[in-house]
Amino acid sequence: MTFLEWTEGPLWYGASAIFVVGAAWRLFGILRLGRRVELSRPRASAASGALAAIVRHALPRGEYVERTWYHVVAGYLFHLGLFALLLFAAPHVAFIHDRLLGVGWTPLPRWAFIVVAELAFAGLILLWVRRICDPVMRQISDRDDHLGTWLTFIAMLTGCLALQETSPVLRGIHMLCVEVWMVYFPFSRLMHAFTWVLSRGFMGANYGRRGVSP
Amino acid sequence: MTVHTRPEKPSAEAAVQAFLGQIDASIASYLETCVHCGECAEACHFYEVTKDPRYTPTWKLQPMVRAYKRHLAPFSGLKRALGLAPSEVTLDELEEWSELVYDACTMCARCTVVCPMGIDIATAIRRMREGMVAAGVAPEGLHEASDRALNTGSPLGLTLRVLQKQIADQEKETGIPVPVDVKGADYLVILSAMELIGFPEVIGALSRIFKQANVSWTFSSAAFEATNVGVQIGSKEIATSLLGRVVDAAEALEVKYLISPECGHAYGALKWEGPNMMGRNYEFEVIHILELLEELRLEGRLRIGGKDSRRLAFHDPCQIVRRGGVVAEPRNLMAAVAANQVVTAHAGINNYCCGGGGGVSSNHRAEELRFKAFAVKKRQLEEAGGVDALVTACANCRNVLEEAIDEYEMDLPVLSLTELLAEYLEPEGGAG
Amino acid sequence: MTPAMRILSILFVLGALLWALVPADALAQGAPGFQAGAPPGNTLGATSDAEFWRQVRQGRLGMVSIPDPYAAVLVRSEGDNWRALRNGPISYYGGWLLIVALLSILGFFLWRGRIKIEGGRSGREIPRFTLTERLIHWYVACVFILLAISGMVLLFGKYVLMPVVGKAAFGHIANACLQGHNLFGPMFIFGIVAMFLVYVRDNTLNGVDWNWIKRGGVLAKGHVSSEKNNFGEKVWFWMAVGGGLVLSTTGLAMEFPWIPTIIQVQWANLLHATAAIGLVAVALGHIYIGTLGMEGALEGMTRGTVDENWAMEHHDLWAKQVMDDLNVSDGRRLPPEPAAGGPGGGSKDGAPQGAPAE
Repeated sequence: MTFLEWTEGPLWYGASAIFVVGAAWRLFGILRLGRRVELSRPRASAASGALAAIVRHALPRGEYVERTWYHVVAGYLFHLGLFALLLFAAPHVAFIHDRLLGVGWTPLPRWAFIVVAELAFAGLILLWVRRICDPVMRQISDRDDHLGTWLTFIAMLTGCLALQETSPVLRGIHMLCVEVWMVYFPFSRLMHAFTWVLSRGFMGANYGRRGVSP
Repeated sequence: MTVHTRPEKPSAEAAVQAFLGQIDASIASYLETCVHCGECAEACHFYEVTKDPRYTPTWKLQPMVRAYKRHLAPFSGLKRALGLAPSEVTLDELEEWSELVYDACTMCARCTVVCPMGIDIATAIRRMREGMVAAGVAPEGLHEASDRALNTGSPLGLTLRVLQKQIADQEKETGIPVPVDVKGADYLVILSAMELIGFPEVIGALSRIFKQANVSWTFSSAAFEATNVGVQIGSKEIATSLLGRVVDAAEALEVKYLISPECGHAYGALKWEGPNMMGRNYEFEVIHILELLEELRLEGRLRIGGKDSRRLAFHDPCQIVRRGGVVAEPRNLMAAVAANQVVTAHAGINNYCCGGGGGVSSNHRAEELRFKAFAVKKRQLEEAGGVDALVTACANCRNVLEEAIDEYEMDLPVLSLTELLAEYLEPEGGAG
Repeated sequence: MTPAMRILSILFVLGALLWALVPADALAQGAPGFQAGAPPGNTLGATSDAEFWRQVRQGRLGMVSIPDPYAAVLVRSEGDNWRALRNGPISYYGGWLLIVALLSILGFFLWRGRIKIEGGRSGREIPRFTLTERLIHWYVACVFILLAISGMVLLFGKYVLMPVVGKAAFGHIANACLQGHNLFGPMFIFGIVAMFLVYVRDNTLNGVDWNWIKRGGVLAKGHVSSEKNNFGEKVWFWMAVGGGLVLSTTGLAMEFPWIPTIIQVQWANLLHATAAIGLVAVALGHIYIGTLGMEGALEGMTRGTVDENWAMEHHDLWAKQVMDDLNVSDGRRLPPEPAAGGPGGGSKDGAPQGAPAE
């Protein structure tokens, strides 16, 4: 078995299993704590409040942007870039078609891939450098924040280093790094990729029934 | 029934147990999801004026986060076994955090609004305070207020005699009798301690408004205090005990509505937290005074006869507007009574806190920080081009603002919206 | 040799070359004309070879049946010259320059050791770099390091890395580094422009710098008076900006090689390598003095504040100015005046007001 076959075979299945089972267990572990029954009479719908919060908190808050623009810009660059790469990079589309879903879609042209990758990297680097030099970020950041950022960076970087798509070794290295990232994911703050629905939803429901959508 | 306000001796273990007891799926999702982006600091008036990174709202939750991640979170057992779980919270840390949780947080929830993950830090702090009380690290000022509230019914130690005296004065002032203990009245009025001692004119204002609107109302001599120190210090036991008195009195008088007065935390305690603390819903409904006034205005029962020509700005009390959901009412009422209303930046659900909510104003050691935080309000008003007077609907905001205005040697009256409306009532007998 | 014969010879060689271009290993089987030691082509006798090769080296245009006329040039000498320069003096002296830089740093360390704050820490801090300055610095630093590593693999890898990891592995590494280098290059351009805009006001040269040079700068005994940045730091800034400009321009020429002429791309490459080696060499010194080499320097770029004693020792003119602004005199901080701003006042970005010492 070649290195690439390992990383696209057993290691891929193993990492995927840990990713899926781990993330599901983590979500279940949160939800199993349950919610108290709300006895107060609602002024408005909790469900629509939850939906409103899920949407509104994805958008920058105008009143605060003067003070938070750095995070807004860098955060959007990174996240939008990451999702564009994840879903529309040509090798990813092929992988999704061949290995996961059996359907594919039009990938990004190469020049667009490069532009998007640069924006995503710039976003991630900007977010990380703020962690090391803003007193607030230095205060609240922990090992997990840095490790998660670095693993994401390395997974993205190895992907871009394999951009020529001629080297099975480089492809294998990218696969391996992604697998390490996937194994780390359920045990780390990277889980925010799923739990944001819960926190925004619970908050939105709580305020929604009070008739306000902060 | 004796209510335990202080533990026998300070204990970190008690705090951890209390933290864990407070964490349901919603709080867990908040503690899990924080990505440490720091945006909440940018929304916090305490951080803004001090630039102290410890005042970052999410950092204030850190001991509870650690307790959760060590004992309750998914994979916590695995992480403990591998030595990767966070360390146990110590008493020293809790004492350090007492300042962050009580002095530097008014539970105003601006951080909740800005959080990209939608984490309700204000609610989490409210839950965390339960653990701080259990550990015995809550500030003395709030304990004293709790003791007074439990002994006398009022955090300021105000007795029925004080109420009777203020009622008598206001009756003399307005010439309108104030109903007390009227069984079967529609509305029961209670007041915040601050109104009772500092702003008794609100009683006269209510008499005049209710007379014009022909509202059937009453005071109760059994319970007249709305302030709930329990929700401020973070003790469900204290809060429920204080709330129970009001609920019992309202149900004894068989009123249809209990009016939550111009008081921030009282509204949350009565309307939103209350039924959950009591374990049942009430036999009456809780209505905020601003909701009632707006309802009366829309029905044409509250008639405004003129407008104030001063430059007036409304200070949104966090617990009534952002966290209470009474958003449109104060705006409509202000528009009805103020000819030259100034709308400050961030007004409404994004408004800056007065700096003294959530028990901060009862906490002596927080005084300096509270005055510092007022710099944010001051800037907000200056940016709006200055105002002649501030109007608000929370007696605690009003008192905190007045004290800060004195401290900054400014000349800026702070008015109650209810009193302002009463001043501009259409004179009796139509437009005479 | 008649002209007709020359043309015939050239055509033959061209044909042989075109054939050789197809599969590389086909060369091994080889045409009979490519036997070792024998003159190429089916030339008659050896006498014409010198003239023949001269013409080839001068870029004589032959004839091909495909549309691209450049294909009819057998040897583009300018390309050969470029390669000789790149793989020769630039790699050789450039490599030595980096080794000399590292050795100088080691020597400086052995001579001066870690430069301590002479007065010890005062425990009082003053703001040095704003958050904006810090963010831009670290952004450029991150991208620069990524580019420096990948770039050096591309330039020196053949001599340093390939003998160690082998040809096959080096092929993958070089492939990866080229992709990475091209990807991160444009990100550097934005960084260097932002850096210029934010830092330029503290880096204009003036009389203070002349005094600093006369007194011997870092080599002087004791500390030489300096503003927020001393002469050395200002030179580093202008090197970074100038070098950054060269790297950006030449880098773009190589990212989009179809826009400039082939000669321009070759020159761009040589300039790019030269400027990069220069900047990397100085950056090594910069990194050393900012971290290991000097106590109390790094925190200015991380937390944004430095110890008052450090500031007074290394940047006295600037430090006095800042301390005056912060109501500091004789090394003792006076309580802030309770004037206009009231309690709290307006603390600027990064001001240490109430900030806990870490």
